[in-house]
Amino acid sequence: MITADLLTGLQSFLPQDQVIEGGKQSHPLGNSGQVTVFPKSEEEIASVLKYANDNGKTIYVEGAGTKKGFGGLTESADILLSLAEYKGIVEHVPGDMTLTVKAGTCFAELQDYLAQYKQKIALDPFVPESSTIGGIIASNESGPKRLGYGSARDAVIGLRIVYPDGKVIRAGGKVVKNVAGYDMNKLFIGSMGTLGVVSEVTIKLRPLPKYESLILLSFPEGNFEQIRAFAIKLLDSMMEPVSLELMSPSLSERLTGKTRYTLAIGFEDVENSVHYQEEFVRNIQPDNSELEILIKEHAQRFWDNFYSIAPYPAAHGGSKETNAVLKIGVINLDVLNVLKESQILGDSHNLLVEAHGGLGHGLCQVNLKGAGEDVVSAIHEVRDAITKLGGYVVVKHLPFALRKEVSVWGDKPAHFFMLEGIKTKVDPNRILNPKRFVGGI
Amino acid sequence: MAVKGIKSKDKHIINLANIIGDARSILYHTEDLIAYDCDGFTLHKHLPKAVVFPKNTQEVANLVKYCSENQLPFLARGAGTGLSGGAIPLNGEVIISLVKMKRLLSVDLENRRAVVEPGFVNLKLTNSIADKGYYYAPDPSSQYCCTIGGNVAENAGGAHCLKYGVTTNHILGLEVVMPNGEIVEIGTNGIPDAPGYDLLGLLTGSEGTLGIVTKITVRILKNPEAKQTVLAYFDRVEDGSQAVSDIISAGIVPAALEMMDKVAIEGVEAAAFPVGHPRDIEAVLLIEVDGIAAGLDEQINHILEVCKNRNVREVRAAKDEAERGRWWANRKTGFGAMGAISPDYLVQDGVIPRSKLPEVLNNINKISEEYGLRIANIFHAGDGNLHPLVLFDARKPGESDRALAAGSACLQVCADVGGTITGEHGVGIEKREEMRFVFSDEEINAQTDIREVFNPHNLLNAGKLFPMPGRCVEIKRDLKEKEAAIS
Repeated sequence: MITADLLTGLQSFLPQDQVIEGGKQSHPLGNSGQVTVFPKSEEEIASVLKYANDNGKTIYVEGAGTKKGFGGLTESADILLSLAEYKGIVEHVPGDMTLTVKAGTCFAELQDYLAQYKQKIALDPFVPESSTIGGIIASNESGPKRLGYGSARDAVIGLRIVYPDGKVIRAGGKVVKNVAGYDMNKLFIGSMGTLGVVSEVTIKLRPLPKYESLILLSFPEGNFEQIRAFAIKLLDSMMEPVSLELMSPSLSERLTGKTRYTLAIGFEDVENSVHYQEEFVRNIQPDNSELEILIKEHAQRFWDNFYSIAPYPAAHGGSKETNAVLKIGVINLDVLNVLKESQILGDSHNLLVEAHGGLGHGLCQVNLKGAGEDVVSAIHEVRDAITKLGGYVVVKHLPFALRKEVSVWGDKPAHFFMLEGIKTKVDPNRILNPKRFVGGI
Repeated sequence: MAVKGIKSKDKHIINLANIIGDARSILYHTEDLIAYDCDGFTLHKHLPKAVVFPKNTQEVANLVKYCSENQLPFLARGAGTGLSGGAIPLNGEVIISLVKMKRLLSVDLENRRAVVEPGFVNLKLTNSIADKGYYYAPDPSSQYCCTIGGNVAENAGGAHCLKYGVTTNHILGLEVVMPNGEIVEIGTNGIPDAPGYDLLGLLTGSEGTLGIVTKITVRILKNPEAKQTVLAYFDRVEDGSQAVSDIISAGIVPAALEMMDKVAIEGVEAAAFPVGHPRDIEAVLLIEVDGIAAGLDEQINHILEVCKNRNVREVRAAKDEAERGRWWANRKTGFGAMGAISPDYLVQDGVIPRSKLPEVLNNINKISEEYGLRIANIFHAGDGNLHPLVLFDARKPGESDRALAAGSACLQVCADVGGTITGEHGVGIEKREEMRFVFSDEEINAQTDIREVFNPHNLLNAGKLFPMPGRCVEIKRDLKEKEAAIS
């Protein structure tokens, strides 16, 4: 009955085929909607938000749905707003190296398009062929090459945001340097769609590297002191690796066939420079470590595989095992401790654990697989350990039913009142992605 | 316990002195306050009520709390080098000067971070870690005297931000005193992506209107292995502009790509650091690439080729570090150098899409003719950040106003081609009205809504950043009435 009203209400301003009843089958990852809408224009996005705001309806927002298991404490909102149909390039000025796209555009398609111009978006998110640019920005996704290129907050120069009341606000602009007014872009990057619906993204681009290679340096003895000493030596040198990602033995096995702690050290520059850096690494290669160099498309293939390791929601179902993904932030070199800790965790909780983390930026991802209760207790345990290191744990992926048993974002920060204040100001009726973010925002 | 030596009957002065516990850490006599009536933007002046010099975070918090509870407008100030008037006490503020909080608190090379107090001078950070081969990337031209606290407030840039980003890309953590006196920590331990909205990003560049930063965790970088710098002289500005585009299009990411036009060259050659640029050229480019030494020759050769294809008159690489240093000193003192050829000058700070450079320079020329004022152009051409310097003589009646109008017209030109009104100097007082060139009322309101969350009574640095004259006047009047009622 309620759904019928909702359908009628939404169909009064959206074409019928863009409004689909979707509440019959609940998704194990939650974040669903009684009704799913597929706006094709910014005006349509705005009218859906305005309708919800005026009628006290809640909205979940999604791109391709790769982050369905990320946050959210209600199984279903009234409306699931999908941006899958709001896609395409708005403007690409190769000479300015800027790109404006609609939020629902597929990330991998963008990179393919830009490659024709020898340009790229300098972000390396997981599942790029399924992720949308809007979803990547809203969840602040980044990968190992963040060390060399930074993250979404460094790449995004402008946004168009549809506010909960339907007004459209521009943040930033189309130029690469801009301090006019507050840097509002930052508020929306990583906000999990709790403040507004990002409809358009303007990004500054980078040239594609002229050459690239990847050094896989594996440590058969798993000696952490040795890995640490090597990392410090490399970081203290003038080499410029774009990644310095340590992989757990299980992950290394999947990607390289070797069950060992392995460093993935990427170099991207002109060819001479890359070879020089490879040589440098060879010269400081620790005893008993093994070194393999993948060049060009071989390096790219490694990374393609790497980016597909995260459990993808579309594949969910069937398996009795529970998948969880944790994002862990620590002081750079504490990444070593995170990997050590996750290895212990796997053994003590009977879980398959694949972990990796960047020794130059401090962010780790830990994938857990096993019985639901073991996953939950492992998350509690790892959070205790990471909190002692002064870091944080965010649960990036977990089935809906278990999300109530662990806090997705951890404890509220001391400055929570400011976050709450911003939310209340921008979305006073709390229609957007309710309870999906820190502290129940 | 009252502080001795305060010669004022104003109860607020006495109370502020008591908070800070030292009569020498507060200024309140008119003759002492004059030095604080403006910052690097000198066309607007106002005396503060007092200037206080806290020594630690707790004192800042106590001062802020007092001001907040007594409805006294207040603002923070670093070295006062800001170019848009962000530290000007428009409303007779109590100025909280952070220059005594100038310690380098810690350096952690292994994790590439350092913690500084806000009054710590930008260049001192690089100098403190240079012997280990590290540096702090944001390098505004005033880096030898500007403070990192001020850099955070303004989201300062610099010549090398083309490759390395501006201040916001290098801030990992902040300790902030909120306008109600509460002390909060954001970005604990400098770990990236802390759960929650990105307040680090919001506060950086908020021009001291959201809080007062009392501790800053910054990212430090390893020095590049090598640098090479090229100087190129062009007979036509168009050729210089095209060379800029060609370099970027070639997939080169220079560390810096600077340009000066004929009037600017006249200025820098007449000032303290001349390097012998020919006076009859229309444009000089200063191009720097850095990184792995083995990779630089290829880039330099490419750059030389690009310049030759664009009819360069002369192009050469710096032969040694000393020459490179001279070229940079010549460029970095470019603004001040205008003093050698004009009694006064006004710096503007527009940004444009790189590809619009020739069109915009043409339009700026027209503005120069229209207003009858010479305009020198010094700019970060690589990222499209223009600094038109409007030369004028304040002694001539009406010329200051004409200079302001010409500067504003330059910003309109930038906004019209899809650019913005400020790339690194901030809006401050100077460009409040020009905010309307780039933002709608709704968009400006969206920003002031955020300010209200942090600074609900608008006592902290009121009247900056946003074009709301009506409202500012109201607040001023309101404050005056309250002050009158209190005293």
